[in-house]
Amino acid sequence: MANVSLKSLSKRYPGSDALAVDAVSLEVEHGEFMVLLGPSGCGKSTTLRMVAGLESISSGELAIDGRCVNDIPAKDRDIAMVFQSYALYPHMNVFDNLAFGLRRRSVDASEIEKRVRSVASTLGLADLLRRKPHALSGGQRQRVALGRAIVRDPKVFLFDEPLSNLDAALRVGMRGELIKLHHRLGATMIYVTHDQVEAMTMGDRICIMNGGKAAQIGAPLEVYRNPADTFVASFLGSPPTNLIPARFDSEVLYVGEAALTFRRPSIQNPVFGIRPEDIRVEGASPHAHGEVLAVETLGAETLLRVRLAGVAGDVMVRGPRSVNAKVGERVPLAFDLEAVHLFDPQTQKRI
Amino acid sequence: MISRAFLLLALGLYTAFAAGPFLWVATMSVRTTSEISLNHYAWPEKFHWEKFPQAWFNSNYSAYFENSALVVLSAVAVLTVVGAMAAHCLARYRFRANRLLYFILFSAIIFPPQITIIALFQILVQYKLYNSLLGLTLVYIAVQLPLTVYILESFFARIPSDLFDAARIDGYSEWQIFWKVSLPIALPALATTVILNTILLWNEFLYAVVLITDEAKRTLPLGIQRFMGDQLEDVGMIATGLMIAIVPVVLIYMFFSEKLIQGMTAGAVK
Repeated sequence: MANVSLKSLSKRYPGSDALAVDAVSLEVEHGEFMVLLGPSGCGKSTTLRMVAGLESISSGELAIDGRCVNDIPAKDRDIAMVFQSYALYPHMNVFDNLAFGLRRRSVDASEIEKRVRSVASTLGLADLLRRKPHALSGGQRQRVALGRAIVRDPKVFLFDEPLSNLDAALRVGMRGELIKLHHRLGATMIYVTHDQVEAMTMGDRICIMNGGKAAQIGAPLEVYRNPADTFVASFLGSPPTNLIPARFDSEVLYVGEAALTFRRPSIQNPVFGIRPEDIRVEGASPHAHGEVLAVETLGAETLLRVRLAGVAGDVMVRGPRSVNAKVGERVPLAFDLEAVHLFDPQTQKRI
Repeated sequence: MISRAFLLLALGLYTAFAAGPFLWVATMSVRTTSEISLNHYAWPEKFHWEKFPQAWFNSNYSAYFENSALVVLSAVAVLTVVGAMAAHCLARYRFRANRLLYFILFSAIIFPPQITIIALFQILVQYKLYNSLLGLTLVYIAVQLPLTVYILESFFARIPSDLFDAARIDGYSEWQIFWKVSLPIALPALATTVILNTILLWNEFLYAVVLITDEAKRTLPLGIQRFMGDQLEDVGMIATGLMIAIVPVVLIYMFFSEKLIQGMTAGAVK
């Protein structure tokens, strides 16, 4: 167990002007499950690979357990990593795959045998120890990859999109198992994913990355409820936060033709951000009316795509399954003003 | 049914085409030259097995065989190890002039041996390696290295880099990763190059005939050539010599063929 500290870590690939990772600072505590979340190309995997020692660090400082490890090669960092492709050694059977890292560390044979067998039985691999990776299913390979990390008992676990290659049902199952594993081992884990459901359900904290920078770091609900900028607001949540250009006229905020009383910030034309679930279809005291463009009945809930008068883009509304709207109909809409965030249209930051 | 019959017919024809000459040489190897000159294609009336010990002991084939084995085995061993290391390095590591090195190495393939052989001859004479088995071995290594690296590089480049990252994280150095991860995974490709190099070098004639003059240092192809005179040829002895020369190639092929097939079909299935 260890804490991991990234101090304005940057990565510039040779021959490229742009920074792949741009001054990311992050403190991962002892035993914390930290998720790096972001779209492809946001620098999350590169950040992880710098922590692993597989990519050199262009600038900044990386410390594991208070010791700067910038110049320490991967093999001496005492970390374990689970890859998206599993990266099992195809010429070795499951036992040897699990034992490979221990043999290098000259653990004696009986101890290796004991540890491999114990890890294999916890992961349900006990009957597969003599199989080669090509004779395993995707889920089994995933377990072997996980076992290879666990058996080493490393200071830090790194995961690089480990569930992306699994089918949907298996992914949900493995998600649960990883959470259990984290509770049982209490180990420090850094987990890279582009899947916001994984991030929300597994992380103690999430670091959302965009364009090589850390956009926001915080607990899942905190990040979800209080996005730091329009990127976080639109990346988290499915469907994402509605972002609507709005304008203040004295103390009244106009969103399209809807007039809302709102505490006025210094900015005249903020971006009005509201999550689909914070808009209700309700006739009592509606803020606006919208024309229904599409209805998606998902069973547990109903999504409406509506057009508000005076608003350019469509607005998504998430209603209960009892919502009974037809395409072309005009529906009354009420905004939960407590849950609304305003963003600066220039900096994209929350006001 | 019809397609199966057609396939059998095609394979049968191909087998006859490939095995026919081999069988012909095999029958001639146990017939005497005078018997052969009477009827080229007849089945042996009497099997002259004594021709084999005669070739081996009296006609110096044992020495030729030894020379060939020594030169080919050492050349193939060095080629395999050095070629694999070079291929691993070129396929794995980003460094300045990686592609330039690869290009220079590979461009050597385009020169036919006739162009380089005079220069090689002079170089070997200067370094006192002319007419020596060591010199011939070095030439064989130099001649076959580009193709070996080319075959292996394309195979090594297909090994997913995650495996190397995983081994690094498991605590292994680059050197250990080469021996414990790269080489075992590349075994099918290595088998391909071993067979290819062994067969090519075992049969190699041109470099050997230019670079070796001593009777005692001749390799097998040169030894067989000795039975071709200006006026007459000892066809029977040539056939016996050929059979002796073929045996190791067949053995190597049998031993490595499974790996060879794996190498040829590698990448076909995930």
